[in-house]
Amino acid sequence: MELSESVQKGFQMLADPRSFDSNAFTLLLRAAFQSLLDAQADEAVLDHPDLKHIDPVVLKHCHAAAATYILEAGKHRADKSTLSTYLEDCKFDRERIELFCTEYQNNKNSLEILLGSIGRSLPHITDVSWRLEYQIKTNQLHRMYRPAYLVTLSVQNTDSPSYPEISFSCSMEQLQDLVGKLKDASKSLERATQL
Amino acid sequence: MLLELSEEHKEHLAFLPQVDSAVVAEFGRIAVEFLRRGANPKIYEGAARKLNVSSDTVQHGVEGLTYLLTESSKLMLYLDNRKEIRTILSELAPSLPSYHNLEWRLDVQLASRSLRQQIKPAVTIKLHLNQNGDHNTKVLQTDPATLLHLVQQLEQALEEMKTNHCRRVVRNIK
Repeated sequence: MELSESVQKGFQMLADPRSFDSNAFTLLLRAAFQSLLDAQADEAVLDHPDLKHIDPVVLKHCHAAAATYILEAGKHRADKSTLSTYLEDCKFDRERIELFCTEYQNNKNSLEILLGSIGRSLPHITDVSWRLEYQIKTNQLHRMYRPAYLVTLSVQNTDSPSYPEISFSCSMEQLQDLVGKLKDASKSLERATQL
Repeated sequence: MLLELSEEHKEHLAFLPQVDSAVVAEFGRIAVEFLRRGANPKIYEGAARKLNVSSDTVQHGVEGLTYLLTESSKLMLYLDNRKEIRTILSELAPSLPSYHNLEWRLDVQLASRSLRQQIKPAVTIKLHLNQNGDHNTKVLQTDPATLLHLVQQLEQALEEMKTNHCRRVVRNIK
């Protein structure tokens, strides 16, 4: 994990009971997690009355340091011992280390989900809808009678809401081919998970 | 599809039934030559003298026969390829892209810039579609749960064809 001096300085300040008493420390820690994980969080997360006595510049610095560290730890899937070692180096006392690790453990899953969802990927199929129709006539060809399917795939794109849907028509045979192939993929997936 | 000839046409061909089969055969031969090499006035004159008719009559006769031959062969071509022609014409209807093929691949994401040590299975799909003769491919991805959902939904779609309701419609609307 690569952490800057700024992060380290911020943590050293956090470690100091003269700058942050127990209560303030806990509040700031929680605010850091909240900023990262709560979609509705904003700057007001640091507006707690029990944090008012602290210099806003210091408050911001420490908040940023904590958030940065949490993200790095999450990215590298840091375990408790890694966390402890770093916090010890920043002069955290035992109590604060325990507090940090507990908060981290409580929020670990959400953090990993958040980090895992960042990044580019192919357009992702989220759903399918279908329609079965019986074609009777067109202006090119009189009287043609045949059933046809219209399949629409709902697609989510990381880049933009372009192409939210892909639609195509197919005959019954073609749909059987499509389903057959998807089933093959599915069985293959099942076998792979049993390895 | 019926072969339709104009009145003028019928007139041109009118004299054929009145002559014997050898003459008709000769006319047939001339008509094919005409198709191959274009008109040959000398032959028309020769034939006109032999039959004691004007060379115009001969010319019209040949042209009429030629037309008859080409129309008949068009009909033959149509009859032979009827099924395919109808399929192609039906696809000319205002249409959406149609399914052509599907390729798939299993992937497992192991890490990303923002998160290491992952095991995230995914299915990558290459969907081949045709539209107006153009071949189009789309590369998509889905997760295992959605894949199962897709299979289930589309199997239901296929099942629908076998229901009494659909069978009745297909049987009765022809």
